[in-house]
Amino acid sequence: MFPAHIEEYVRPATVAEALAANARYEAGEAMFIAGGQSLMQAIKSRMARPRCLIDLQAIPTLKGIAFDDGLRIGAMTRYVEIAGDERLDGAFAALRDAAGHVGDRQVRNRGTIGGSCCWNYVASCTPAVVLGLGGVMELTDASGARRAVPAGEFLIGPLETARRDDEMLEAVRFDRPAARTGSAYRKWGLVKDALPVVGICVKVELDAGGTCTAASIALSGLSAGAQLADAGAAQLVGSRGEPDALARAFGAIAESVDVQSDKWATDEYRKQLIRTLGAEVASTAFARAAS
Amino acid sequence: MQTVRITVNGELFEETIPERMLLVDFLRDRLALTGTHVGCTHEGVCGACTIHLDGEAVKSCMMLAVQADGHAVTTVEGLSSNGDLSVLQRSFREHHGLQCGFCTPGILMNMTDFLQRNPEPTDEQIREGLIGNLCRCTGYVHIVKAVREAARTLASGNG
Repeated sequence: MFPAHIEEYVRPATVAEALAANARYEAGEAMFIAGGQSLMQAIKSRMARPRCLIDLQAIPTLKGIAFDDGLRIGAMTRYVEIAGDERLDGAFAALRDAAGHVGDRQVRNRGTIGGSCCWNYVASCTPAVVLGLGGVMELTDASGARRAVPAGEFLIGPLETARRDDEMLEAVRFDRPAARTGSAYRKWGLVKDALPVVGICVKVELDAGGTCTAASIALSGLSAGAQLADAGAAQLVGSRGEPDALARAFGAIAESVDVQSDKWATDEYRKQLIRTLGAEVASTAFARAAS
Repeated sequence: MQTVRITVNGELFEETIPERMLLVDFLRDRLALTGTHVGCTHEGVCGACTIHLDGEAVKSCMMLAVQADGHAVTTVEGLSSNGDLSVLQRSFREHHGLQCGFCTPGILMNMTDFLQRNPEPTDEQIREGLIGNLCRCTGYVHIVKAVREAARTLASGNG
């Protein structure tokens, strides 16, 4: 058997029960398992050796996509459900772009938005999209205290988040978008739907005349993990998504962000991906905002 | 150790197993259902161990057997009924959708779920659906054809 010895497996029915189970162990000895499509790799390779696994599959409040004042996606909501929800259009379309191309369909049948954000793998799509769309992470601790952490503060770096060991991510929230908001996400990997060598999320808000009044751009696949590219986003504001404006914005990002060379791609290749892919993604986001 | 009750191919099994046992090992080693294959063994990239969990295609090496407690699993052994192959299985035989056959159980399980959700797929959609299954023999051409023809047979009601 590949995994190291696991002393206990529990399947709580509520968040409170899950946090109570976690509190019985020293920090880090118990782990929450969501879809397990990353964690099981770590457990099988013994990079992770939890004494206790707390399976979140039976907690109904962690599942589902709800539109209330904004959008709330339960942490245990799976990629297959996000990719197939046609209500996620316009401002939220980037979520579907990303979820529909994570891994493969078997992975999408189990993998979850919350699991991906809490794992925060260096080359993953979901954290960058949540960051680019201005998501807020809803955390609860064992005492029942809740806090809301913006994605930019939550996503510290690869495999690192602001979630404390005594906390659980319950949901990701997004504010109600302004009228004429559009978003898009695309990645480039070595084969179709592979991990992103570079992934780009763009969100733009337009005025009635089609001029961009606010923008955000988030990148994935870079060694610092999911990150915002504010300087490039600022260059989209005031434009109408013309090719020149897009080229300027993503040219500025390619020259300013810290881009690594690795076995997947050289730094120059990644910069070119940022320019080319970025312009395509932004163009889609503008079109979605206008429609 | 933990006692689990898992329904596999319609039959309820109650077994006491170590928490760390993978679902694929439970199926193969405890229940002797060796049609579910172990290909990559580790990274979850080959798809040979794909089964249905409550009707959905998932990789059985990427979950623990205890996680399947209370759920219904279908393996490749459960696709045929009374010795009659499913439409998709027949199509793989007729269109040479396999050579060595190692990847075939996982592909059959994935594509059975795929066809239920995509009854009229294009070749491109079939190829996208196959991303999670590696085949080292066929080059996929005959696999795509077998899936396409199975979809046609099912749509015509001649299954």
